[in-house]
Amino acid sequence: MSQTHISISSTELSIVTGVETEVIVKLVEYGIVEPLNGDQVEVWEFETSSVHWIQKALRLRKDLEIDWLAVSMVIELMQQKEALEKQNAAFQRQLSRFTK
Amino acid sequence: MEFKDYYKILGVDPTADAKEIKLAYRRLARKYHPDMNSEKGAEDKFKEVAEAYEVLKNDQRRAKFDEIRKYGGRKDKGFEPPPGWQKQGQSGSQYNEHMSGDFSDFFNSIFGGQGRSSRANGNQQAQRGQDAEIELPVFLEETISDTQKSIEYMLPVYENGQRKDVKKQLKVTIPQGVIDGERIRLKGQGHVSQFGGKTGDLYLHIRVVPHPIFDVQGHNLVLALPLAPWEAALGTKVTIPTLEGKISVSVPPKTQAGKTLRLKGKGLKGRKSKEGCITGDLLAIIKIVMPSEINEEQKNLWQALAVKGAFDPRAEWGAKK
Repeated sequence: MSQTHISISSTELSIVTGVETEVIVKLVEYGIVEPLNGDQVEVWEFETSSVHWIQKALRLRKDLEIDWLAVSMVIELMQQKEALEKQNAAFQRQLSRFTK
Repeated sequence: MEFKDYYKILGVDPTADAKEIKLAYRRLARKYHPDMNSEKGAEDKFKEVAEAYEVLKNDQRRAKFDEIRKYGGRKDKGFEPPPGWQKQGQSGSQYNEHMSGDFSDFFNSIFGGQGRSSRANGNQQAQRGQDAEIELPVFLEETISDTQKSIEYMLPVYENGQRKDVKKQLKVTIPQGVIDGERIRLKGQGHVSQFGGKTGDLYLHIRVVPHPIFDVQGHNLVLALPLAPWEAALGTKVTIPTLEGKISVSVPPKTQAGKTLRLKGKGLKGRKSKEGCITGDLLAIIKIVMPSEINEEQKNLWQALAVKGAFDPRAEWGAKK
């Protein structure tokens, strides 16, 4: 049985995304990722999806040559879009149960 | 090897200045970036554009490419590096890692393939293997307790420099309370590093399979509860399915379509924690269904009701008969 993880520490997050802890702090300041707990960087735990969003943020920053503020806005809009698409699909499904 | 005309790829003139090159790159990057464009082929197109920019934005690399272009452009039968051509030395630090860093053979033949070599990051001894991600369909029933699942995915293995995709199987426990879109991490189950670093991780991207009866709203489950018109009028007892078996529910008389019956604690379960776990409710929303066939006798009964009903369902509109 392989061990599954649903959260990740800031140290590990730094290792798997290849960025320094200071960058993680910056990403938190810009709201790109959010720790699940506490004020201290050392004890921060994140959702594992944070890895995905940090990698996306790093790519966008580098590939599109945009600053962190712009990156955070793009990420925020992407997350909103994802949530709305999901909600829309759920409503469509629910609606179809009442109209058929 | 295919010769790549980086000017053509960016759609700029070979005499273009740095500003024009940057502008052309930005336009194309915005159009084809895989994070913005999910269309097939966009990612490959973006890689090509990024590679072209990587070369043309740097004066040294551009000069080298211009030289090669004179030579390579004349040939029809693909590109061969000029005789005696030396790969650029390992001045790696000026080459940043780009996305996954996989440049074409053409790029590598000129610039020594160290496009991915250096990370300014001191806390890594050697580059980790890449992470892998697979979509994992999970049934709603599987989210209300810890569930064991077997997963299968393909990973590349390198033997004598040859890449081969090999099927890998794992047994995992999906924790109670997973939600659609969540990612679960399995340490060290991703790609093996080719540079002696740690093996990458595997991410399971959870996809909750749409249920034939239930919809999900946070921790609550939503169910359309069909009633016959007379059941709605007179009240009834119905058997309702839940994720954990059937339960009996009383429907009060004069129940309107769209009314919600809340069944406490019959919804989804949240993550287990020290404080226990959140349990959602089952929301049964009333839907009134007409029989598709009406015989003569039934028609007369409805007729009698129509006469004695004295009911205007469109009173809200203020319309008078």
